[in-house]
Amino acid sequence: MHPAFSVIFFTVTSGAGYGLIALLGLFQFLHFGIFLDKNTFFISALIAFLLFTMGLISSTFHLANPKNAWRAFMRFRTSWLAREGLLAILFYPFLFLYLYLTYIDYQIANFILMQTYSFAIFIFAIVIIYCTGMIYACLKTIPQWNTLWTPVNYISIGVFLGSLIFFFILDFFNYEVDPYKFYLLLAIAFAFFMKLIYYFRIREPRHNIGQATNAAIKLKDTNVRLLDVGHTGSTFLTDEFGYKVASRKLLKIKLFAIISGFFIPFLLVYIHSFIYENLIFCLTAIFLAFIGMVAERWLFFAQAKHVVNLYHGSQNV
Amino acid sequence: MSVKQDKLTFKKDLFSNNASKLPKFENHDKQTQKNTTCYMCACRCGIKVTLENNKIRYIQGEPTHPVNKGVLCAKGNAGIMKQISPARLRQPMMRKPGAERGTSEFVPISWDDALDMLTERLSKIRETDPKKLAFFTGRDQMQALTGLWAQQFGTINWAAHGGFCSVNMAAAGLYTTGFSFWEFGDPDWEKTKYFMLWGVAEDHASNPIKMGLNRLKERGGKFVAVNPVRTGYQAIADEWIPIKPGTDAMLALSLIHVLLKNELFDWEFLVRYTNAHYLVVDTPRKKGDGLFIRNEKGVPQSWDLEKDCLVNATDPKIKPALLGNFKSPEGTPVKTAFTIMTERYMSDEYSPENASKVCGVPAKQIEKIALELAHVAFKESIEVETEWTDWTGRKHDKFIGRPVSMHAMRGISAHSNGFQACRAIHFLQVLLGSVDCPGGHLAKPPYPKHVAPPIKPGKKVVPGQPLESFPLGFPTEPEDLAIDDDGNPLRIDKAYSWEAPIANHGLMHMAITNAVAGDPYEIDTMIFFMANMAWNSTMNTTKMRENLCAKNADGEYKIPFLVVCDAFDSETVGYADLVIPDTTYLERYDTISILDRPISEPHAVCDSIRAPILEPDRDVRPWQTVLVELASRLKFPAFTKENGDRKFKDYKDFIINFEKAPGIGFLAGWRGENGENSLKGKPNPNQWEKYIENKCFFEYKLADHHKYFRGANKDYLEFAKKSGFNASSDPIIIELYSEKLQKFKLAGMGLYDGPQPKKERDQFRLSRFFDPIPEYYIPLEHRCTFSKAFPFYAITQRPMFMYHSWDSQNAWLRQLQAHNYMHMNKEKGEELGIEDLSWVWVESNTGKIKVQVKLMEGCQSDTLWTWNAIGKQKGKWGLSDDANESTKGFLMNHLINEHLPCADTGSPVTNSDPITGQAAWYDLKVNVYPAGPDEQFGVYPNFEAASKLPGSPETNDILRYNTKKPVRLSRSIIDILTKGGFEK
Amino acid sequence: MRLGLVVDLDKCVGCNACAIACKQWNTSGTSGSLTDYRPYGPDPSGVFFNRIRHYETGTYPENKTVHFPMSCMHCEEAACVTVCPTGASYKREEDGIVLVDPEKCMGCNYCAWACPYGARELDREEGIMKKCTLCVDRIYDENLPKEERKPACVMTCPTTARYFGDFDDPNSEVSLASKKREGQELFPELGYKPVNQYLSPRKKVETKQHETKEPSLVKQVKDWVNQVVEL
Ligand SMILES: Nc1nc2c(c(=O)[nH]1)N[C@H]1C(S)=C(S)[C@@H](COP(=O)(O)OP(=O)(O)OC[C@H]3O[C@@H](n4cnc5c(=O)[nH]c(N)nc54)[C@H](O)[C@@H]3O)O[C@H]1N2
Ligand SMILES: Nc1nc2c(c(=O)[nH]1)N[C@H]1C(S)=C(S)[C@@H](COP(=O)(O)OP(=O)(O)OC[C@H]3O[C@@H](n4cnc5c(=O)[nH]c(N)nc54)[C@H](O)[C@@H]3O)O[C@H]1N2
Ligand code: SF4
Ligand code: SF4
Ligand code: SF4
Ligand code: SF4
Ligand code: SF4
Ligand SMILES: [Mo]
Repeated sequence: MHPAFSVIFFTVTSGAGYGLIALLGLFQFLHFGIFLDKNTFFISALIAFLLFTMGLISSTFHLANPKNAWRAFMRFRTSWLAREGLLAILFYPFLFLYLYLTYIDYQIANFILMQTYSFAIFIFAIVIIYCTGMIYACLKTIPQWNTLWTPVNYISIGVFLGSLIFFFILDFFNYEVDPYKFYLLLAIAFAFFMKLIYYFRIREPRHNIGQATNAAIKLKDTNVRLLDVGHTGSTFLTDEFGYKVASRKLLKIKLFAIISGFFIPFLLVYIHSFIYENLIFCLTAIFLAFIGMVAERWLFFAQAKHVVNLYHGSQNV
Repeated sequence: MSVKQDKLTFKKDLFSNNASKLPKFENHDKQTQKNTTCYMCACRCGIKVTLENNKIRYIQGEPTHPVNKGVLCAKGNAGIMKQISPARLRQPMMRKPGAERGTSEFVPISWDDALDMLTERLSKIRETDPKKLAFFTGRDQMQALTGLWAQQFGTINWAAHGGFCSVNMAAAGLYTTGFSFWEFGDPDWEKTKYFMLWGVAEDHASNPIKMGLNRLKERGGKFVAVNPVRTGYQAIADEWIPIKPGTDAMLALSLIHVLLKNELFDWEFLVRYTNAHYLVVDTPRKKGDGLFIRNEKGVPQSWDLEKDCLVNATDPKIKPALLGNFKSPEGTPVKTAFTIMTERYMSDEYSPENASKVCGVPAKQIEKIALELAHVAFKESIEVETEWTDWTGRKHDKFIGRPVSMHAMRGISAHSNGFQACRAIHFLQVLLGSVDCPGGHLAKPPYPKHVAPPIKPGKKVVPGQPLESFPLGFPTEPEDLAIDDDGNPLRIDKAYSWEAPIANHGLMHMAITNAVAGDPYEIDTMIFFMANMAWNSTMNTTKMRENLCAKNADGEYKIPFLVVCDAFDSETVGYADLVIPDTTYLERYDTISILDRPISEPHAVCDSIRAPILEPDRDVRPWQTVLVELASRLKFPAFTKENGDRKFKDYKDFIINFEKAPGIGFLAGWRGENGENSLKGKPNPNQWEKYIENKCFFEYKLADHHKYFRGANKDYLEFAKKSGFNASSDPIIIELYSEKLQKFKLAGMGLYDGPQPKKERDQFRLSRFFDPIPEYYIPLEHRCTFSKAFPFYAITQRPMFMYHSWDSQNAWLRQLQAHNYMHMNKEKGEELGIEDLSWVWVESNTGKIKVQVKLMEGCQSDTLWTWNAIGKQKGKWGLSDDANESTKGFLMNHLINEHLPCADTGSPVTNSDPITGQAAWYDLKVNVYPAGPDEQFGVYPNFEAASKLPGSPETNDILRYNTKKPVRLSRSIIDILTKGGFEK
Repeated sequence: MRLGLVVDLDKCVGCNACAIACKQWNTSGTSGSLTDYRPYGPDPSGVFFNRIRHYETGTYPENKTVHFPMSCMHCEEAACVTVCPTGASYKREEDGIVLVDPEKCMGCNYCAWACPYGARELDREEGIMKKCTLCVDRIYDENLPKEERKPACVMTCPTTARYFGDFDDPNSEVSLASKKREGQELFPELGYKPVNQYLSPRKKVETKQHETKEPSLVKQVKDWVNQVVEL
């Protein structure tokens, strides 16, 4: 699939944003031994808000007819994209009310009702990331995506990025982060292993040209091969679906994504408490993780093979 | 773990139900429909054009039209894009003073100036030496008019594209059965059960073949395709025979070998309808050898089996021997023509085993096909119950059909052995008795004609006078050649000379070369109409482009004045001194006449017209009108009244009132003062209107008893004479044995009382190739090309969706193909280390080209092929300089020489069939090897970008053709919000 | 009704007539214009609803070429419709035609992603997704002669390799053709239940061979006896 930057940016940033807000909700619910003060809470929320809002705005950049973007949630009954859109919209008032309630009296955060609200924020945000993942996972036409690992990846990476930012915020406001570090390392490792499973799973092509045509061509025991696509220039189909990268380049980018996105941040977080000026470390980790995840998301598209390629000369996808 | 699609099933309630309220999409009140005839190619389908807001809404096939019955091909469907092409010429133009020829630098001039200039120049030529005008026309459909014009002008130097196209097919048929493949005959698609297609990718019968294949398949008939390449039609063949190019004669004759060996042929058919029983003088190396033995009145003789003596071969009721050696009363040894045939074809030379070595087709397969043909012809024969009378007066109560049919075209014709190969295929049909019978190969009226049609080529050029005969005709003996007393060619293309004695369609491909060489003489003015002679319709394109610019020592061009009439900015336009801009096919009146290539169907005499659909929006005029205007200004007798006034107001007037013979004109329908006559009758002033009323075509359906065996069908023969198709109602005898060819052969051997060639080369060619019965011989270029150096055959095919060079200007069609590849067999390519889509050099005796290669299975191992005429010169055809057509597209023509590469011929000799002068495009032999690493992209050769023509429009990067603001589909919000839901 | 097409791969010669007829009809039809990009420049491209691909099977000389036209299959399980977030894509209840309401489409390409058959093409100039309408603007046009109320591609196909009709009607041309020749759907594994059916290339027609006279190869001309045939 053609990797469109706006979509990559959208999924990474909004994932991080929802991941962060989800964590915030979860923290308010479970605390993990850390009690946030009001400022930290709101700054975190603001960062999350900016992230997923930027993501959502960027998602409209790849629309060919953005003036109809407002219609995008109309078919929530059947479309994961609409569901994602709808939930993303609904999340705003839901979040605003939560923030408002928290704002007028930060103490009520400890009430059971408010705790439930926090938990609901957590669930809501995760569901939104799940929907984003399902936009891709529901497509049978793209076998690499058509798996539950896709939303699992989206969620785990969103949570990982969110946790990393949260870690930075905690550190910045001089919280004792060591108890939290373990969970963060866990999140990174989890995201990484989920991604590994995904990569492992998509190694083998799922469909071949024979399947796509043989029923109709029905010439037993023969191999089917494209002779001519029927047009010498590119078309919408070849532009959109015919994206090809050399496998060497893929491998390089994959290594980069893993090292920059998972390994180095993991290492930096791991050695974080032994270092003096660790904020820079944190920022570097965030920066590398984001770049790594942009690369990961780029790979997610570039490695996905739409079945229509079978009709255009791929022997299998 | 995989995700089920959306966890939703498509429930009925998800469907939208407000949709039945469809809007009214088309406002028919604002639309009009007009009929005319398509000219996106020469197939001539009927079209119905819907106009809206003065633009073309839609072009569709006319369902009642005899040719296409409502269907259209891709080209026909793309007419809109031709009509709006930026390459359309817009006004008459002259080469810019001081600019060199070929640079495409022009200045506009007025029509008055252009016509004055032409009239003055032409009138000078006509008054002094009319043959100094050479007038050649390409893939046009108005040879009846251009030929008449040339004849009236008085030049013998006229021909149309036939000589480089498929004269081999026309000639082989017209010298054998009286009709042919090409546009003169069709398989009986309604009844045939076994169809063999020889060397056809698309053909002139573009839609009819496709429609026919449908009929055949519906009936469950078998389709066998003989072709080195498996694309297009061959894809749907039941059996594909990947033959080595140039060897079809061998395959056909080997099939005949098998038939003869098994005595499987139609004995009765041979005796009744052919000259197989004629007695041939058998006195090798003596004068008269190989000619028919004739009585004192010149009537050929047969051996009567009952009377045991010579009898007139054409007398009814004789019982002639088909086989045997006899002696004439004078003691001359004679044998039947059929005996000669059996002796040759039953020899081992034509055995399947030997043929297999030549053609690359397994012997078993040859044997199998032959026996299948025989089975269908003889065991599955069909009968059509209709009473008819043969020429002897014998009544029959039915037509017996041998439902085997064949069609062949350029894969056969474009070889220098194509005439004989095509004749071999006709022989096969004749042996099976499947000629003009139900289920067989049918003639299309006005064919069949007598073998050969009784028209002799014009020869004598007299200043200020018309030629005494049509410039082109059908020589039957050396006396008919257009040569002077020394045996030198009279025509600029050397047609009807010893080099190409029965060049019935001329040799257009030699015209430029010869004119530039001043061989046989220099000319003054050359007119090209509808021919892209600086590009795809010429051999050796690079050199031909230099030729067109060649100058004498005095700085004058060797072709002093070049007039090009085209409708579009072709490569050739760039070389013109004067450009005459034509209209498009949707803007003019035109006739598709039975005096020309007919559009007739086997069982209907048909012709048609074009009538304008749109007014031209440019300063252009139809060439027809220009020709009539020039003819009137030059006072051609046929265009001038006795008092010297012009006879015809314009083209329409000419078509209505011109009579070739009393009652016979260009159009056969609605003749007679009130349109009461068909085929023959007085001029009708309202003829055009009648045609327009009848959707622009005329169809005269043949009576049932006229439909078959027309060469021997008494009533039909009389009908054909009455209608002016044939001069006599004598039977048309199929000439298996061609005494006509034998006469030329004797001349070559020095055994002829009459003109004989003096050059050794010509003597050799005549005695070697003019065999009275077909034989296989190695194509001429192959004979003199070192096959180790050039191991591959190289051929082209026509894409179904493009017409020669015309269609790269078509924004829709060029999306299908903007550049071409050189295709080759996959295994072979891999063996040579040639990768798919890599760049390679392809080299011939003549030159080399760099092209991109594509590997495929469906290609004979020793063959390279590409789509024809996709490559274009930069800057032409309204395309940008970086269009794929010039950066990646290429022409094979650069590799093909107009002369044979042989060293032993003395003076250069044309690369053509030695009998007909048919250009031997597909005799090409080449070598192929990978291009170097630094040569990976871009074609070679490349030509400088042509200048833009004055007034040519700027084109946008976005084209959004539409005739109206579209009426949109819509779905209600309620529907969107309420339909469907989560899985229940 | 379940309207759709039958494509006979045994007859299709890959001529592209249907592709261009479709372009021609639709560029001035309800989905018009079908934009063309760089029409006279490099790499010309444009919106088509119907494209012909060409395949080869087997190896030389036992190979076969198959021409393969593809347009919208008007799937029963049309995921292109379910995924469309705006509701611009819909499937008609009365005949199953899958259409796009251009006023509602936001050009997100998502439906094209969901289509396995490459049947949807974005018109970049208009920002609207376009696709085969089954010529809804022809087939219901009562001002057209009855025999012309057919898709443009079907009317023009010179080999009659395309049929149009209602698969719910067991006696329609499409149902009969599909039944007789075991119509196949493309890519059934994906479960889209495409309505359009493909007729596979026939088995080779085998013709009987004429029996030969034994021993055929030694037979020579001189053994033949002239038959008496009166001219
Ligand atoms: N669409 C379209 N239609 C056209 C034209 C066009 O340009 N485009 N041109 C028109 C004109 S002018 C003409 S003359 C006709 C020609 O129509 P065709 O006769 O169909 O001409 P070609 O495309 O040259 O096809 C020749 C075929 O013969 C095969 N072939 C080559 N050499 C041999 C051989 O030695 N033996 C055998 N058995 N096969 C061989 C080639 O592979 C190819 O398939 O088409 C007319 N119709
Ligand atoms: N390598 C190779 N070369 C070949 C062949 C091949 O198979 N292989 N085939 C050969 C054959 S069979 C043929 S017939 C020739 C074809 O040779 P041509 O007839 O020369 O080829 P076209 O490209 O059809 O060019 C005709 C010219 O007519 C112009 N034209 C189109 N419409 C009109 C009109 O309405 N009025 C006027 N005045 N002009 C118009 C076009 O713009 C074009 O410049 O090519 C030959 N060349
Ligand atoms: S075959 Fe096609 S291009 Fe040729 S006349 Fe017919 S519709 Fe026109
Ligand atoms: S028009 Fe018919 S034969 Fe031609 S490509 Fe389309 S389906 Fe095939
Ligand atoms: S073919 Fe594609 S566009 Fe058409 S209905 Fe099926 S999924 Fe939708
Ligand atoms: S491109 Fe248009 S029709 Fe397709 S899914 Fe998006 S909004 Fe729906
Ligand atoms: S049905 Fe109409 S819109 Fe669909 S492919 Fe055929 S011509 Fe095009
Ligand atoms: Mo031709």
